[in-house]
Amino acid sequence: MKFHLHVGLIEADTEQALEEALAIARCRQRVLARLAPNVAVLEKGDTQLVITALQELGMHPKVIK
Amino acid sequence: MKSALSTARKGYRFGELDLLSIVETVMDRQPRVLKNGLPNLAYFRAANAVLAQPDDEAEGHGFPQVEFWLTLARELDLVRDEGDRLVISGGVDAFFQQPFAQRRENIRQAFLDSHGLNDFALVNEIELPGLKKGGTVDVITDAPDVAARIAARRKVLELALAAGTDTRMARFIQQVQREAPNFVIDHSGDGSWRKVYYRGIRERSGREDVERDGGWDRVEGAYMRWLIALPFTRLGWVDFDPARGSFEVLDDNEPEPAFEIIIQPNFEVLALGDRLDAGQLWQVARFCRPALEGRVRKYLLEKKAFTDALGRGLSAASMVALLAELSRKPLPQNVRYSLDEWGASSERMKIWPDALVVEAEGVEDLGALLTTAMREKLGLVAVAGGHFAAPAPGPAALREHMPPRRAVLDYSRRLPAVITPQPGLRLQAPSEILHLRARQLLELVARRQSTDFWQLDPALARDAALAFGPDEMRRRIEEALTRPLDPAHALALRGWSGEFEPAFAGNAEVFLCDSEAQSELLEMLPDFSAWLDRKLGRGAYLLRPGGAATLRKLLESYGIKLRDHNRRSS
Repeated sequence: MKFHLHVGLIEADTEQALEEALAIARCRQRVLARLAPNVAVLEKGDTQLVITALQELGMHPKVIK
Repeated sequence: MKSALSTARKGYRFGELDLLSIVETVMDRQPRVLKNGLPNLAYFRAANAVLAQPDDEAEGHGFPQVEFWLTLARELDLVRDEGDRLVISGGVDAFFQQPFAQRRENIRQAFLDSHGLNDFALVNEIELPGLKKGGTVDVITDAPDVAARIAARRKVLELALAAGTDTRMARFIQQVQREAPNFVIDHSGDGSWRKVYYRGIRERSGREDVERDGGWDRVEGAYMRWLIALPFTRLGWVDFDPARGSFEVLDDNEPEPAFEIIIQPNFEVLALGDRLDAGQLWQVARFCRPALEGRVRKYLLEKKAFTDALGRGLSAASMVALLAELSRKPLPQNVRYSLDEWGASSERMKIWPDALVVEAEGVEDLGALLTTAMREKLGLVAVAGGHFAAPAPGPAALREHMPPRRAVLDYSRRLPAVITPQPGLRLQAPSEILHLRARQLLELVARRQSTDFWQLDPALARDAALAFGPDEMRRRIEEALTRPLDPAHALALRGWSGEFEPAFAGNAEVFLCDSEAQSELLEMLPDFSAWLDRKLGRGAYLLRPGGAATLRKLLESYGIKLRDHNRRSS
């Protein structure tokens, strides 16, 4: 097992939903790793971009802090 | 303050609502903190407007009530600075979850022991011009220091609580002047050349320091009036009636809260009642947006606040249950439907903006490997693929709960270079030290061949160069390497990314002449230039196809013989 500290993580219910979220935030190229088809690891700042982009579109993911 | 609370609204419970308003305003606005450590003026105005008895900005005294509550909120860890913003702190939920009597005790103690509260400077009737000099060493002032202020608060409180019912303020001040004239400023030796004035203490808008002779009521008296009218009254020790100029001591047996909330179909939540409970209102405020307009306590149910609360670990069911408990009527159907839908939709995508991710490698079963204690203490939850995630813990918690001999890759720092170029366009990246940044890079330009080895791939490298630009791609790769790129790797990457035109390799017609003077004359010859493809160097020319035979004939017609080999004649 590996411990990755201070990264951003996005888990969507489907792979397509994750792809859409990354596309909306223009972060597809910045994904550090796909731990599963519907799970992406990003840098913290990029994750914030995804949250902001989704919220601007009226979508409010569950943000776990 | 225009006036103190009426007798119908007395006791700590009503003062605490002012504290709640101050904290809610911070949560709603997250105001910018200025260089002096205070939030901006817009925050002060907004927070002042929602107090039970707002200060009048036009009177020019600032907003002492906001400053008072904000200082206590900071000392109780209800709000904190985050960068240049004032935000609510992690301690605020724990504070409002405490029983009423415990909250009251804590905030009273915070006031009595406060080091940060310069209450002397908040008294309307006096001003301390020395404060404007920003702590320069040449300021001489008789204004009390922290220890003197703490002692003074306690002394005045002790005397006020012993004063009995319906005590006239003026008489109380005279009594204190007789019994404890030095409770905040030392008056021994008054009249000496050194103690003619209250140095550094003036009446509001006054041009000179107050004279000690006859000035006690204007300085200490003003301070006592302020203590009784604001902190002592709001914190529920006494009830001050400004119309009669008297106060009475209150007991701590405050009536139970009595209020209800009304949830309207337009998603507004109104709190109505004589005795609102700040603890329960804070629970509502945590998943609504406080609509801080005037003194009606109104909250708006909004998707963002609701899903933020879900992210903090609240369940949709518990929030709906709280609303139902505080409301006499059932939730409007459209509100209930929306809350259920918000809860369900937010579960469709979960984001940890600052996480600890435990990655399962291979066929590891983290569910079995991670101890229950570690999962509970760090708040680790399973995500798809058998991995676990939690909000990033602090260093102490991490140290305490991490399994031994396990390294943590901290992405808030620069991570070590772990990729080593190998012969034949291969890259070595040992999987046990490979971090996600390096892996991302490898996946951009190479294909995995085995556990530790990757092979540079032309198509991937070309796509990456298109996405980031060749220079940026190369910079990223070079940063992740343990040593500089080999010439072969550099040539391949730069060639694939389109930095180089395709080079020519094959048969070609070349014209070489060893004499510089000869080559200069030839270049001036139009028949020579017509067959020239490019000059390769001094006396070296690449010719168009068929050029060699034609030029041979041309030059032989001038009687110049050409050699058939490319070696210089010795």
